[in-house]
Amino acid sequence: MATVFSPYAWLVPAFPFVAFAVLTAFGRSLSRTGAWLATAGTFLSLVLSLVIAIERMTGAAEDYRGGYEWLRIGDFSLPFGFEVTNLAALMLVVVTLVAFLVNLYSLGYMKGDDRISVFFAYVSLFTFSMLGLVLADNLLLLYIFWELVGVCSFLLVGFWYQKPEAKAAAKKAFIVTRIGDIGLLIAILLLFWYMPDHALDFVSLHNVFDPQNGGTISLGITTLIALLIFLGAAGKSGQFPLHVWLPDAMEGPTPISALIHAATMVAAGVFLVVRTFDVFEASQAAMDTVAIIGAFTAIFAATIGLAQNDIKRVLAYSTVSQLGYMMLALGVGSVPGAMFHLFTHAFFKALLFLGAGSVIHAVHTQDIREMGGLGRRMKITAWTFGIGALSLSGIPPLAGFWSKDAILAAALADRPWLFVVGAIAAFFTALYMSRLFFLVFFGKPRGEHGAQAKESPGVMTFPLLVLAALAVVAGFANTPWNGWLGQWLTGNAEADHASALAIVVSVAVGLLGFYIGWLVYVKGAVRRDVLSSRLPGVVRLLERKYYIDELYAWLFVRPLRALGDALTAFDTHVVDGAVRLVGAAANGIGKLNTRLQNGQLQTYGLAGLLALVVLVVAIAGRRFW
Amino acid sequence: MLKDIPVLSLIALIPLAGAVLLLFLPGRRSTWPRGVALAFTAIPLILSAWLFAGYEPILGGKAFAEHFTWLSIPLNAEAWGPDAAVASYRLVFDYRLGIDGISLPLVLLTGVVSLMAAIASVHIRKRWKTYYALFLLLQTGMYGVFLARDLTLFFIFFELTLIPMFFLIGIWGYFGREKAANRFLLYNGLGSAFMLFAFLILIATLGFSAEAATAGGNAFSFTGDYEVLLAHLSDPNAPANIAQPGNAMYLSDSLKWTAFVLLLIAFGIKLPIFPFHTWMLKVHTEAPPSVVMIHSGILLKMGVYGLIRFGAFLLPEQLDAWAPVLATLGVINILYGAVLACAQKEFKLVLAYSSISHMGIVLLGIASLNEIGLQGAIYQAVSHGLISALLFLVVGTLYERTGTTKLDELGGLARSVPFTAGILLTAGLASLGLPGLSGFVGEFLAFLGLFGSMKALTAVGALGVLLAAVYVLRSVLGITFGPMPERFIGMKDARFVEALPMVALAAVILVLGVYPSLLTDLMQHGFDGLLKQLSTKAGG
Repeated sequence: MATVFSPYAWLVPAFPFVAFAVLTAFGRSLSRTGAWLATAGTFLSLVLSLVIAIERMTGAAEDYRGGYEWLRIGDFSLPFGFEVTNLAALMLVVVTLVAFLVNLYSLGYMKGDDRISVFFAYVSLFTFSMLGLVLADNLLLLYIFWELVGVCSFLLVGFWYQKPEAKAAAKKAFIVTRIGDIGLLIAILLLFWYMPDHALDFVSLHNVFDPQNGGTISLGITTLIALLIFLGAAGKSGQFPLHVWLPDAMEGPTPISALIHAATMVAAGVFLVVRTFDVFEASQAAMDTVAIIGAFTAIFAATIGLAQNDIKRVLAYSTVSQLGYMMLALGVGSVPGAMFHLFTHAFFKALLFLGAGSVIHAVHTQDIREMGGLGRRMKITAWTFGIGALSLSGIPPLAGFWSKDAILAAALADRPWLFVVGAIAAFFTALYMSRLFFLVFFGKPRGEHGAQAKESPGVMTFPLLVLAALAVVAGFANTPWNGWLGQWLTGNAEADHASALAIVVSVAVGLLGFYIGWLVYVKGAVRRDVLSSRLPGVVRLLERKYYIDELYAWLFVRPLRALGDALTAFDTHVVDGAVRLVGAAANGIGKLNTRLQNGQLQTYGLAGLLALVVLVVAIAGRRFW
Repeated sequence: MLKDIPVLSLIALIPLAGAVLLLFLPGRRSTWPRGVALAFTAIPLILSAWLFAGYEPILGGKAFAEHFTWLSIPLNAEAWGPDAAVASYRLVFDYRLGIDGISLPLVLLTGVVSLMAAIASVHIRKRWKTYYALFLLLQTGMYGVFLARDLTLFFIFFELTLIPMFFLIGIWGYFGREKAANRFLLYNGLGSAFMLFAFLILIATLGFSAEAATAGGNAFSFTGDYEVLLAHLSDPNAPANIAQPGNAMYLSDSLKWTAFVLLLIAFGIKLPIFPFHTWMLKVHTEAPPSVVMIHSGILLKMGVYGLIRFGAFLLPEQLDAWAPVLATLGVINILYGAVLACAQKEFKLVLAYSSISHMGIVLLGIASLNEIGLQGAIYQAVSHGLISALLFLVVGTLYERTGTTKLDELGGLARSVPFTAGILLTAGLASLGLPGLSGFVGEFLAFLGLFGSMKALTAVGALGVLLAAVYVLRSVLGITFGPMPERFIGMKDARFVEALPMVALAAVILVLGVYPSLLTDLMQHGFDGLLKQLSTKAGG
């Protein structure tokens, strides 16, 4: 079957871009119409994405490429092109679907904001950039969109620019991810100079780093390139030690947290590693690094999530942790596992964030200690949030269970100790999610708004329902007995990692975590402050997120500031001082000469005599030199 | 038809004509001087655009050349030995203008930034007639610098920019304007002295040629004609290349090195290269914003241009040998400028140090000595010119309203002047190298070029990209984000006359970022001669 729709894949990002352009140009006069326009643009993208995905599922397996030359210098040419593969098709659907639902939701959530058209313009620009990133056929183009999604994230985190926290968070998000971006940039420079014909497209990357053509690029350079790419991925996907920006990014409007900081942009790091996976596979050291960083991030962030009291921050650390799982999957060689989890996570985490937004909308606080008892007043939100929480906790048969199980099974097959780490992290995941869920929706209302909380309007609950449905069924795309998604993505039947042990453990830790949460926060069988009274140090350590922010302030921020001040002093006193000294010296010599020319014969005589003496001494002295 | 009119001369001299015309017009109010200045600034831009449309890269420097002998000064006549014929010497000044892939982008930059600065001069409040006359004179100097193909002519135009600039800073600047103007003139005058010295070395050696023997004996001439110098450089029979005892015209290695270092200092002051940068801090803070647009946007690029045009093309071996030095200086510029920009409390100083940092990237591109890097250097120069012009345009607009450019006195302006704040944010993002805007292309090409030869240095230099994010966001968000102080309530956003150049500059920055071929296609073949020379030197 011929590819009919894939050549039009460039239209998918084009719709949101047009929406962005129109909103930027006429935004102020459009206001709510503009918001609907942006939503409609994303909807068209969604439809086209679905058509393309269906086309690719039903046979058209050939990848489609198109593009034009962007820049030519001498013999080098940097093309702009797009590429439609099964992976791209999957990502298109995920991005446009979540983006559309978030657009819809935002119509309700951002209703009263007088900059609503700006908001929708930014969201459209983001959607465009994210879709461009997905379709890019070469690393440089991917990098360009990579930076663009970063800047959209920055703009949206800082959307409420009057809040000092939002300003700080936006700045931090941009700068911390930029650290990773420099890694990616240098990786591109390396590839440009080491690849045959300076090719940067993914097909060439695949061919060159294919083990069958091994040896084109030395192992050391390969490892370096892979690690630099991973640095970029770690920045975007909030991997330790560059995770610090993501929780702070929760200062942005909640729909943004769902779209950018849960479902799509933060997964771009995972997508990048998948896209350049051949480079990683060529270097065991790089694979080890990815696996270990991923596993560490998974458990590290999960423990922090246990002690946070801001509903969005709990979810943010959960996102960091889940992205860690995806990296872990890649590190143990399972692309299907990572992409599968990316796929299901996009739905249930977007659901959780939108649910959290619905709660915040109702009670005007983000502190879970001031919520409680919302289950009866906000039935749809509570039920859908509950489904999301169970899905995230890995309770079968919900989507999160299947994808997490795939990762754990792959880890077990590759390196059992990583499986243990992953299983413990899964336990913590279930625990913090049950804590969150029960504290928010069970018990008695604790805050001032809790008693009057009302369910959100339909435009907000409809996306919740859609996402909840997906959080239930999306897992069946790739079950241990039917690895359809993995096959479709990678083109070959993946070695089956299914393992009874992995399933049993993963179900057990999930249920156990949720049960303990229920015991503590609903039943009251265990006192809530049992930990903070017995081990105050540990709890405090978790509450303060292991003091990483403070550490960075000491290690980087302050030294930079001190260096800046020191160099400013150096510049004004030493460098400019030298300039002034030269000026002063010229001036001084001039003045001295003026003084010498004073018309007194005695002075001239004295100067002449002194000069004569100097001359004589100099001439005589040369003999003894 | 384009070939029939002396379009290059027109570009260079029309502003001068405008300045002369202004002298005969009333200057009591701003209307007349401003109108004339705008018209005579717009015409060269239109002509440059015409050049742009008709330019064929393959022709290189030969396109649109204009040449005639301007002055010929007899020097001396002498007879060597008893039976030798009389040899007569003369010094020839040529009026030669030309254009190629390196100068055309800068001519276009000059046109765009000048017009925008002319529009932005609406904030000038006194002595309009003098201001605009000097402004036009300055333009003639700048166009001349980029168009001249003769060392002497170049020098004259180069000096011509100093005088109007001196008065523009000294009369219309802020509080410390006179000191800044003095510093500017002295420092640049010193640079010119170095340049003149280097030029004389080149004229006395490479510029020497024997002309056809006449009845009166042999005739020799010295010229600064750039084409002649280039031809002699690659001609093994040229006197400058014959190492013979008694050949006073021989351009020895030590002479080459002297000339190279002199040129490096001369243009290094203009660029500026650390540690010759302190003069430009004063100019950035004390000159009126519309003049800083010209200064930061175009005048600094004369340093880039001179370094490439004379340093690289006439002394390629020296540049080649010193490429690591140049790259190191570039990295120092990048990091030193960036760290200092992070620590400034005055927005104009942030921008000044950021200029130092960005010019370091230009140095990296030059040091790469390959086509990618060299094009990157020019691209970065053009892009930085546009971006800093835009930034100072915003500075001028904000200062008009707030009366301050100190970071801790500003804040929350996104609420009171959303349009201007949006433009400031765009310019800031362009400055920190966001892809899709022009800053990224120049940076990327320069890094890409240098990475081929000096990997570690490039990687260190790339840290500047991170610091750029720090200082740009710190200052731009400091101005626009955060709670708005009460005194900014009710402030009016940019007027049409202020918004127009902002939108125009932002559009050019965007177009160059999205479609860089627009500019790089011009530069194709621009470096062919240099690269050929380098490769033959390396091969032979």
